[in-house]
Amino acid sequence: MAAYATISRVTAAPDATTVERPDVDEVVQVELPWITLVWDDPVNLMSYVTFVFTDYFKYSKTKASRLMMQVHTEGRAVVSTGNREEMERDVQAMHAYGLWATLQKSDA
Amino acid sequence: MSDFRARGKGRVAVQLPPYAAGLIASLTRQLVELLSDGEVQETRSTDPLEAMLEVDTPRDRPEDPALRRLLPDAHRDDAEASAEFRRFTERSLRDSKVADAKTVLETLGLPGGEVGEADLEFELDRDQQRAWLRCLTDLRLTLAERLGVESGDEDTWAGLPDDDERRPVYEIYGWLGYLLESLIDVVKV
Repeated sequence: MAAYATISRVTAAPDATTVERPDVDEVVQVELPWITLVWDDPVNLMSYVTFVFTDYFKYSKTKASRLMMQVHTEGRAVVSTGNREEMERDVQAMHAYGLWATLQKSDA
Repeated sequence: MSDFRARGKGRVAVQLPPYAAGLIASLTRQLVELLSDGEVQETRSTDPLEAMLEVDTPRDRPEDPALRRLLPDAHRDDAEASAEFRRFTERSLRDSKVADAKTVLETLGLPGGEVGEADLEFELDRDQQRAWLRCLTDLRLTLAERLGVESGDEDTWAGLPDDDERRPVYEIYGWLGYLLESLIDVVKV
């Protein structure tokens, strides 16, 4: 992921006005069998990846930044969970935004 | 230099020098061509029931690496599932990318590709802003694939000799990143 000129956004103070959705990691194993993964790539800007997560998933700026950093540092992040059909929709949306996304069963 | 400014009601004002607008238009038209490459322009059935049941024939991943990056596999380790996903979604993904590109071309408003002397000034509504963001990203992905951009290779590109033919392409790639960044700065989520 290209990092120039975008770090200040990542370290910005958490947005206290936005209620966070439940953390993805807590939900995955329990009842939702499919996940959408976004993978790191050398082109997409950190600011853009964060924007996509807030714009499409309606995640808070804090959560979107955290997921973006996870993609950047760990090479991938689980960005959504649900049934297969929902994940296929999310993956196609990510591809429309130009992010590299795949879906799989959460236990795979 | 700021090309994008926030306006009231979530609108964004754009101001581009003629050469910049011409360059974006030219790259975007090439992107449309790339996305239309190899696609059969068949007429869809006019019968509503048939049209609803209509799906594509099975398809392989594109051979062109740039197209493969724009239309990636949806399953990492399952070629069969990826092919099945393509069968049901690749056409509409191509269509949505082409629609984004056409929005960019329409908002640039360069009939016949003619660029005049004056700066181009226009406004983008919410949907048009997203079309611009996605299209600028697709242009960057395509150029990066053609150049062979990899993580952490900025120094290599910065050190290219003046007469290297990749240099102007990399400069355009960098400039598109700047444009994208400055548009993100003013888009309201």
